[in-house]
Amino acid sequence: MDDYTVGILTNIGLISFIALSAYLLIIAGEMSFGQQGFFGVGAYTAGVATAMYGIPLPVAAVLAMGAGATAAFLVGLPTLRLRGLYFAMATLAAAEMFRIVFELLHFQRDIDGEPVGPDGTQGFRGIRWVFENGVEPEGFLALVWGMLAAVIVLFLLVERSRLGATLRMLGEDPELARLLGIHVERFKLGVAAVAGALAALGGALYAHHNTYIEPRNFDIMLGVHSLAYALIGGLGTVFGPLLGVLVDIGVLEGSRVFQGYRMIVFGGLVALLLILRPRGLLDERTVHWLKRRFA
Amino acid sequence: MILDLIQNSFDGLAMGAAYALLAVGFTLVFGVLRRVNLSYGPAIMVGCYAATWVSVAFHSNIVILLGVTILGSVLAGAYVEKLCFAPHRQGSAIAAMVASFALWMQFEEAVTLVMPKHLYDFPPMFEGGPLAVGPLLLRPEALVMLACAIVICAALQFLLARTRFGLAVRAVIDAPIAAQLAGINVPRVLLLVFLLASAVGGLAGWLIVSTYTQVTPMLGMWSTLKGLLAMMIGGLGSLRGAVVGGVALGLVEAHSQWFLGPQARDLIAYLLLFVLLAWRPRWMTTQSAS
Repeated sequence: MDDYTVGILTNIGLISFIALSAYLLIIAGEMSFGQQGFFGVGAYTAGVATAMYGIPLPVAAVLAMGAGATAAFLVGLPTLRLRGLYFAMATLAAAEMFRIVFELLHFQRDIDGEPVGPDGTQGFRGIRWVFENGVEPEGFLALVWGMLAAVIVLFLLVERSRLGATLRMLGEDPELARLLGIHVERFKLGVAAVAGALAALGGALYAHHNTYIEPRNFDIMLGVHSLAYALIGGLGTVFGPLLGVLVDIGVLEGSRVFQGYRMIVFGGLVALLLILRPRGLLDERTVHWLKRRFA
Repeated sequence: MILDLIQNSFDGLAMGAAYALLAVGFTLVFGVLRRVNLSYGPAIMVGCYAATWVSVAFHSNIVILLGVTILGSVLAGAYVEKLCFAPHRQGSAIAAMVASFALWMQFEEAVTLVMPKHLYDFPPMFEGGPLAVGPLLLRPEALVMLACAIVICAALQFLLARTRFGLAVRAVIDAPIAAQLAGINVPRVLLLVFLLASAVGGLAGWLIVSTYTQVTPMLGMWSTLKGLLAMMIGGLGSLRGAVVGGVALGLVEAHSQWFLGPQARDLIAYLLLFVLLAWRPRWMTTQSAS
């Protein structure tokens, strides 16, 4: 594989984490505009851990997930009882606040005579753990897709279980769920924390892939993209969001045919697709049909 | 100190008038369709870019540019309505919103393909600097913005409350099926409201770019975010709320920028929205459309 292909495949894997995070919340009936905030929290936490304190990446990734889950829990606490647009806007406001805090964050240490750490709008350079530890691009690709595969397996297990049924019921009819004795608020708070951790894990890997992050990386564009990926790929299965990322980054950016027109092609495609299939390519009905056919 | 406060309040009021107009356009669409149009700002940006193109090519005067801005916004709005809102009228609100985001991407790439520079100059509304009123500096543009906001809101209130078209709009909001049975062409009413909102947005866009005399591709996101913010602060779905929300946002921003700087300004605006949403005072839950 050449470097370009490896780069594209790594990016598909990285963005899939935040797309899955958005997907998880949509399944539970909440549309978040703010998953990019937790992606950013993960990126900054892991970057600070490895670049400034020499903590190995696996530990840093766990710390990032903890930070992402905590942040999502704290944001979810006052906002999860909101519905629809109110929730979307509250999460957007929270994510924008995170981004501005990153812009205001100046926190550096001298390492080998050079200041390292977040430097406000100048960004955060030198997150070089991957290179310093001799991980080749192919190795990092394997790491990203290995983590992603683990997440997908977890999703598949959950979707088959009682937990998965509860999750979908929560999205379809929260009142019914409440009548059946489910603590809707508590359950949703848990879902939000898991989604936050997932986005943060993606962010931690993203920071180490790029070695440089800046607050702008985590603006609303990333958040709405991840929603769009989940929706065009399909809400019927965990592979839906992956398909969405693949269509955008893989086919359109990767093929280089549409260079300069990529967004016009992608935008038109998405708008037309949503008219034909409002719940995405792999929607619930298609997934059900596929399962009956092949399983 | 007092003078600074007054000066800031006046600047905030002027900015707030622009936000109010943006929020009014947003509210019209949300109030009637119950859908969020993320392409609202980008459609305004298309209008502003069309006017910039005309200005660069023909050096037209500012009034013609106003017409071009509104026309461009309305055409872009019609495209959005046909592709994102008409097909999802009975369907999913999320799908409509994500589709409108997809068109946002299109608009942004299209304007940067046609006009690739990062920043274009836009002719100013008035030649000459601000007016000095005693120790205060008043920009004449600010007065025009305020006047426009007041006149447009009054006109829209009149349109909704007193005309046959307004009656049709209210009927569609309250009972779409009954409205259809009574012979109202519901899709047409929805389209017209959408175009009206785009025209108001175009006017707001022209006021903003001819006050700040520059156009950038960030204008789309900026207008959508500020319009949404003002609409949500004002309590979603009422025109009066949109105006109050816009003015409140402008005032809060002007004062926090002066005291704490531009980043803190944005932080405080979002914090205000977050706290209001979490706390949800009574006026934020009203859902009336006019």
